[in-house]
Amino acid sequence: MPGDNDIKIDVFKDLLYDAVREHGSESRLFTQSDLLDLNVIPDRDVLLLVKVVQALTADKLLVATREGSTLAWRWRSREEAKKYTSFPNDETMLVYTVIDEAGRDGIWNRTIKNKLKMHESLVKNAIKYLETKGFIEPMKNNVEHPNKKMYIKANLKPSERATGGPWFTDGELDTAFVEELQELVFDYIKTKSAYLSTHIPMSGGGGGGGGATRAPKKGVIRGAAPSTTAPGEDTTRGTKRSATEISNDSSPIMQNSALPPRSAPSATPAPAHTSSRNARKVFLPLPAGYKQYPTVTEIAQLIDRAGVTNNTTLSEADIQQLVDVLVFDGRVEPIKVNGRKGYRVTRAVKQDTQSFSKRRETNPDCVSGAPPIPNGLMEAPCGRCPVFDICVEGGPVSPSTCIYFPRWLGIEQAPPAVSKEVTAS
Amino acid sequence: MNTINVTRPVGELLSLLVEEFLGELPARIFKVLLTRGRLSAPTLAQYTSMTKRQLLHGLVVLQQHNLLHYKVDPESTHMTMYEANPENAYNLIRVGKTLEMVDSTFGAAAKDVMRSLLLSGFTRISDLVAAYQEQIDEASKATRTEPDDEDPFAEPEGVNGDAQAAKKPGLVIKSTAHLNSVICRLVEAELIEVMHDKIFLTHHDLVKGAEAKVMKEYFPTGIKGNKAKVELQEKIADELREDRSKSKSLKRKLEQNSAAAKRRKLFAEGGLNGAPEEETDPLLDAKQVIRINHEKCLVDLRNRRLVQFVNDMIGETTGYVYAVLLKHLTKSLPRCRTDPLIDISEEHIEQGKGFVTTDEILDSLKTAVDLSLGLGKESRDKFSSRAAEKVQHSAPKKKIILEAAVDGDASADEDEHDDGDGSDSDESMADGDFKPAQANGTKVKFADGVAGDYKLDRPTQLKQHLLLLAESSQRFVRHCGPNEWTVDFVPLIQTLKEAELDSIIEQQCGRPGLRLVRILRSKGKLDEKALTNTALMRKSEIQQTMLQMLKAGFAHTQEVPKDNKADVSKSFFLWYCDTNRSLDRLQARSYKSMLNCIQFLEVLRQKEKDVLSVTKRLDVKGREKDVMRKEYYDRYSQFLEHEKRLFAQMGRLDDLITLLKDF
Ligand code: SF4
Repeated sequence: MPGDNDIKIDVFKDLLYDAVREHGSESRLFTQSDLLDLNVIPDRDVLLLVKVVQALTADKLLVATREGSTLAWRWRSREEAKKYTSFPNDETMLVYTVIDEAGRDGIWNRTIKNKLKMHESLVKNAIKYLETKGFIEPMKNNVEHPNKKMYIKANLKPSERATGGPWFTDGELDTAFVEELQELVFDYIKTKSAYLSTHIPMSGGGGGGGGATRAPKKGVIRGAAPSTTAPGEDTTRGTKRSATEISNDSSPIMQNSALPPRSAPSATPAPAHTSSRNARKVFLPLPAGYKQYPTVTEIAQLIDRAGVTNNTTLSEADIQQLVDVLVFDGRVEPIKVNGRKGYRVTRAVKQDTQSFSKRRETNPDCVSGAPPIPNGLMEAPCGRCPVFDICVEGGPVSPSTCIYFPRWLGIEQAPPAVSKEVTAS
Repeated sequence: MNTINVTRPVGELLSLLVEEFLGELPARIFKVLLTRGRLSAPTLAQYTSMTKRQLLHGLVVLQQHNLLHYKVDPESTHMTMYEANPENAYNLIRVGKTLEMVDSTFGAAAKDVMRSLLLSGFTRISDLVAAYQEQIDEASKATRTEPDDEDPFAEPEGVNGDAQAAKKPGLVIKSTAHLNSVICRLVEAELIEVMHDKIFLTHHDLVKGAEAKVMKEYFPTGIKGNKAKVELQEKIADELREDRSKSKSLKRKLEQNSAAAKRRKLFAEGGLNGAPEEETDPLLDAKQVIRINHEKCLVDLRNRRLVQFVNDMIGETTGYVYAVLLKHLTKSLPRCRTDPLIDISEEHIEQGKGFVTTDEILDSLKTAVDLSLGLGKESRDKFSSRAAEKVQHSAPKKKIILEAAVDGDASADEDEHDDGDGSDSDESMADGDFKPAQANGTKVKFADGVAGDYKLDRPTQLKQHLLLLAESSQRFVRHCGPNEWTVDFVPLIQTLKEAELDSIIEQQCGRPGLRLVRILRSKGKLDEKALTNTALMRKSEIQQTMLQMLKAGFAHTQEVPKDNKADVSKSFFLWYCDTNRSLDRLQARSYKSMLNCIQFLEVLRQKEKDVLSVTKRLDVKGREKDVMRKEYYDRYSQFLEHEKRLFAQMGRLDDLITLLKDF
């Protein structure tokens, strides 16, 4: 009885569909034996199974895929299936299928065309139809292919690859977020990888002096991990660290030793100590073999605890990326002690002892990290001169017509006209 | 042999330097020689349009200061051919620095002798003695009764005959005997060497000469086979080495003498005021001609530079320790760079024993220096002495650059030879004592677990500084054996060069520029997208920065065509950094900046011509302040101020050039 048979198949259709849905997500592939093992089709009747599967496929509730050499199926939601059955023509269905398969990565309209070997106008029509129906939408903020017209199934969250990962917000690199985190990480590494000493400079005596007393060596990240803010931190200087400032280190120990000062007297003058305080805080490098330089894992934990990342979750790989940037900046360096890879601040003594966020409160455009090493070329006017390349004696720009040298030497104006008679009085 | 690539700005710079120090006439000759190459006197006269007398005078001055190479053409013409010596001309800029260095290591007397030598070029010892004798005589006549406030360590009166001469403040050489001992000390330190017949040859001629001699002596029938070729190279190297060692003859003679040992000891103690010794040193042959050995001076200047680098990177106490270490290590190191022709095998490279022991350093540290400074303190359970004291027997194969560090496979502090098990299982070992320098057999008392409370003994403190240097990412020293330390200069200097470059990039293109360059340096060629991903910077910012750096010569591009049609509009570009190329460009920039400095000085001189001509008058010279009208005197002193500043700036530029060119 054909009707009977149909009814039987209808029943099994529902049973099989429900069973399949129970056994996995939409992306799971079921082979023929998988389906038989569901024990829905009595007596493992292959013929019946084929009939049932065929019916489901026709209803678009099962999708056949080739898995290697064997055939396999995955299920599709009824809602989706309804879409598939509603398309006006095959082209539209094919286009939708391709977009569907591209999943969260989305797909470029040219790729659709090439894949289906279809005429452009047909693809266009299909896309237009699908878009007006609300089945697909153009992909916004695609970081991976910013200039390509891409489509994605409606209501699907684009993949990380497409959005660019945690550092991107609305398709733009969130530099403010990145920088904020970087400073946090830098301050953390700085305080965990160097020793904060209170240095008392003494006058006279070649040996110089000043015992380094023990100061709390804790993190000073403000607002981030309040529990680690060390008391007394805020008594240090809050002055602006400008690019020309050489260092905050001018320990007097070498006054009388064989050590020469910087070889030329013209070096930028050391910052004046405006404060009357004698005690000065300074970071000192830790002796060799220190085992507790912070690792990426520890840094990641700190960021996690600090809760500054709002609703973005950062993996250790993300943090590694941040730390690497600091390494490239020359602000921190990796150090391996017995196979444990930690990070430490470079040029510890040149670092400001105040945390970056705190300093920024008083000076919004201060720079974190040690200033670059002063250098003869950059001190001379020519080192920063915009017309350096064309400047030559006899040319349109030359040392004789130079306006920067007089300024550098502090002779802004030409001296008043020289009187004819020059004599020794 | 360091060679200067004499480009147009460099040529101009060198001529101006010669003019600055030796006068206009020699400078004119020098300039012609620089631009025209090897010339004979008659041709030279033509080019310079000078009379024979002028020319000869100029040549003598140049020769005196070693600014000429010359060679008598033996075969054809018997004519003397002259050639400029640009290296030595450049050395003129370094005069002040060299003197300062001698001053700080050997004291004022040595500095004075060096200054005399620098002023007069190479000098016969007897002439030098005579010149000083004159000074001493004059001084003792003039100021017999003035009290001595110059030198608190001067010998009590009457101990020896020169006491009275020593009275004169400002007179640093007190007697000819004193002079003798100073010369000996400088000879022993190799800062002064004796002249010999081959010193005026160019390097090229020297090599050719050696080759000819070897061919004639050992291979009269020609070279056959590879073995003979190698032998030839070795023989030539031997020959050249012998030439080179001629200038050390005086030193060798001194060393054989027992008196030398005594003097050396004084030197080691930093005995700046070395007591005048025997009246005459029979070993100093008055007829011998001496000159300053710039090669050796460079070794000392390099030491100073490295110490400065440590001061910048780590701290000054560690820097001081490093200075002492370097002084010991380079005591018998004759030059910064080896000559590939001469120093062909390890055994021939003269460098003494090649390492310094902890004890040697300890014995030379000034007692006034507090070694507890400059280092953090933590309880000892936080340290692994095994990791800290790791010994590295040979120099690192890889350069210490960022890639190693970032990729993590060979971090700067990882030992490539005995990395242990690489696990964290060393806790037990780490808890072992933080060993004091064992040879000293001293004990360290720890207040257990409490940082900052304990006092380490001096040998341990010293060792901490040394280990810190060894652990540094720059690898300032290598812990080459238990309590033995050495320095791998070649990679270290490269690191220093890169650090200088980085500092300039950071100042010129900001931190973003530095970041991008260091990424490219460690990862090779990258396209813009890869750069964006690594640098975490906006594309627009990257483009802007990279263009700026392309212009400045810090970064380069490579065009990669998409297909073999090589359509430019379709090809994409890769960014990369060629560090050595950037360094070359930097060097050229520094030369040109220096040239601009000296040219601007000339501009100033022109402007103040009237004032300056007054100061040249004999009745004004020396008492400018009293005789000049205030207005003019002010202008004069301001000019001097500016001149000083410009020279100082040139000195700073020289720091950079010397690092790039000579270290
Ligand atoms: S214009 Fe002045 S500052 Fe610029 S390169 Fe020329 S001399 Fe130097």
